[in-house]
Amino acid sequence: MAKVSKVERGVGDYVYWIIRLMAVVAAVFAFLPAINPIRINDKIDENIALFTSAFSYDSLVSKAGLLLRRGTVSNISFVVAYIASIIMMIGIVILVISICFSLGNVLMKRFGASVALIGSGIGIVGAMVSFIANHLVKLQKFEHPEVDLNATMPMGLILITIAFAVIFITAIALRFILPSGADEDEMYMEPKYKLFLMFLPFGALAFLFCYLPLWGWRYAFFDYQAGGTLSMDNFVGGKWFTYLFQNAATRSDVFRVMRNTLIMSFLGILTSWLPMVFAIFLTEAKSEGFRRFVQIFTTIPNFISWVLVYALALSIFDTTGFINQLRVMIGSLDNIDNAPNYLMSSSGIWFKMWAWGTWKGIGWSAIIYIAGISGIDQQLYEAATVDGAGRFQKMWHITVPGLLPTFFVLLLMSVAAILSNGLDQYLVFQNAVNAKTIKVLDLYVYELGLGGGGSIPLSTVVGMFKSIISVILLFGANALSKALRGESII
Amino acid sequence: MAKTAQEKLDAKREKAYYKKHKHMYRIKPSDIVFNIINYTIFTLFTITCIYPFWYLFINTISDNEMVGRGEINFIPKGLTIQNYLNLRNVSDLGSAFLVSVSRTILGTALMVLASAFVGYLVTKQEMWHRSLCYRFLVITMYFNAGLIPGYMNMVMLGLTNNYLVYIIPGIVAPYNIILVKTYIESIPAELEESAFIDGASYMVVFRHIIWPLSKPILATIAIFGAVGHWNSFQDSLIYMANSPKLYTLQHRLYVYLNQSSNLAALASSAQSAEALKNAAAQQLNSKVIKYTISMVSVLPILCVYPFMMRYFEKGIMLGAVKG
Repeated sequence: MAKVSKVERGVGDYVYWIIRLMAVVAAVFAFLPAINPIRINDKIDENIALFTSAFSYDSLVSKAGLLLRRGTVSNISFVVAYIASIIMMIGIVILVISICFSLGNVLMKRFGASVALIGSGIGIVGAMVSFIANHLVKLQKFEHPEVDLNATMPMGLILITIAFAVIFITAIALRFILPSGADEDEMYMEPKYKLFLMFLPFGALAFLFCYLPLWGWRYAFFDYQAGGTLSMDNFVGGKWFTYLFQNAATRSDVFRVMRNTLIMSFLGILTSWLPMVFAIFLTEAKSEGFRRFVQIFTTIPNFISWVLVYALALSIFDTTGFINQLRVMIGSLDNIDNAPNYLMSSSGIWFKMWAWGTWKGIGWSAIIYIAGISGIDQQLYEAATVDGAGRFQKMWHITVPGLLPTFFVLLLMSVAAILSNGLDQYLVFQNAVNAKTIKVLDLYVYELGLGGGGSIPLSTVVGMFKSIISVILLFGANALSKALRGESII
Repeated sequence: MAKTAQEKLDAKREKAYYKKHKHMYRIKPSDIVFNIINYTIFTLFTITCIYPFWYLFINTISDNEMVGRGEINFIPKGLTIQNYLNLRNVSDLGSAFLVSVSRTILGTALMVLASAFVGYLVTKQEMWHRSLCYRFLVITMYFNAGLIPGYMNMVMLGLTNNYLVYIIPGIVAPYNIILVKTYIESIPAELEESAFIDGASYMVVFRHIIWPLSKPILATIAIFGAVGHWNSFQDSLIYMANSPKLYTLQHRLYVYLNQSSNLAALASSAQSAEALKNAAAQQLNSKVIKYTISMVSVLPILCVYPFMMRYFEKGIMLGAVKG
């Protein structure tokens, strides 16, 4: 199927690397706020990148909103900057497309060079417009000397202009270097590159949402306030790392949170055999209708959100909930007005949270074991019956060993996830009474950073520790699995 | 039809076998005790799983007076759908419902399309740096930069307080891609090859061969993806801090559950003025409205549930975990 390639590597291919490199640099520029080429005045947010500026005029003027509304400043420079950013983004997109063509044959490469020429041309126009916007700010300042709006010449604008210019010149050169393809009459690309290019957009999405966040770890090293900016002035090095352990209040918080996290995780791990037992005993029920009935209804809780679980909990355990109504009915409670609210109590909260988790998950977790049991050779049971083995002996000596590999894999995975209890469950069940004992690491990080705690750097530090320890645990569990069973779990 | 001699012989042998091993098939008293205990425990646990839903449901369709007196515990009395009609007056519920429904449809559709396409691409051995690309996706399942860096990333991309944050990050789902890839690898390669010989392109093969043949696995990831989207709460909580209009239904429900009793006032216009005069009635009303909103949020899940059963009974979802 794969045709033999006629593409040969020549000088043009190496020259093309200049365009490829520069286009990638320009594309990366689009996402870095520090070198946003349209930060033409000091009232443009330092934390937005070219990409964001081109997509949302609102975020472009977010810092200058008051000035614009008062009417002391005309919005002309902002609008021009907005247009400039859109033009530059279009140029960058065309450049990225043009380097895709560079993977084809010579004819396609020539076409790609023309596209790069157009893209960089558009980019240069965008940069020009940005320079104009910058100049407009200066003019404005002249008209309104009382307004505190200063023109700034962004470093990024100069850099990106250079990048566009280099691409422009290289593309012209390429048009001469690449042979005009006398022996090729149509554009062609090898299948392997075609497949790669089809994959590329999805790879880019994965990069944006899974890899790029790692870049956010830099907040751990700065004295950052929400809405502020990162610069050498507020670089604090390892301050937050030591602060975490030196500040008495934070330290006791972290220790308490770690205690809650570990205890609740260990409760789960200690009882992780429950779904297996559930499955073994359920398959002992002879009636298939009964087994289906139990399976269907015990799996439902797994598919509702924790918010809904909390809604159900409220309806059962609240002051006027089912339990209290029942107690009034049977006479153990004289008046509904004196009824306790079982959710507003901190006693045994670790056990309660474990119980909710088990209630929600056990039916679903049992399915994998039920599938496992049906995969065990029935002849083993028949042979054991002939030999006079009883019900429990068969369970212990045939079913359990048959399920152990699955159990082992799941156990190792839950050990690797020991710090990741999740946020939802503990957030919805949290209240003023149980806040101290229910707070797990994920909830703590959320509250510290976003839910009123307001310390982005500190919560980034805690999150970094969590991420790194989790990865180490995962690889540790994997190594253990390899050593013991000769199979990896990831 | 008359039985053949062989069948008769088989039946005879079987009978003799059971006669010989009678002691093994006799029901012992210990078995009866075991069965009674076993069935009882499972029945009780199953009841704890369904009863809360039932309790919630009967309280939303019963006469509110009786709900207030705590009389509705096992069967609904004084049937009414007034509570559901009252929801029209609860502000922001409509927009939350719209957000949840639209993100479920749009997000699931895009996720399934992308998973099918990428799952197909990574099965192609001739792809440039195939294993590198595949690993690039799979590794993302095993690490996480953390909540705050993720949030700052969304701020940088301009996706906070933006509806698109519900859709775009979920398009590439590595676990689902693995499931689809594994499934496509089980499709006979000859089907594809013959199409390629006829000059079909990758896109044509994907659309006309791979897509129709992988429908079972695509349906599976679609249903699980849709449930995930419907239940989503965390992304709304984190990224929509300044846009209450874009809250998902689950987030809206969470807000309502944490409101004490002022919710009743929101839905009061449909109620008689006298009923709201005393605080107790208001308290009750708020409770019933919370129940009703919960019921509305859970109903779609209960509706797709029968379809889901089909898929996880086959154990399709479990293939990857089994290792």
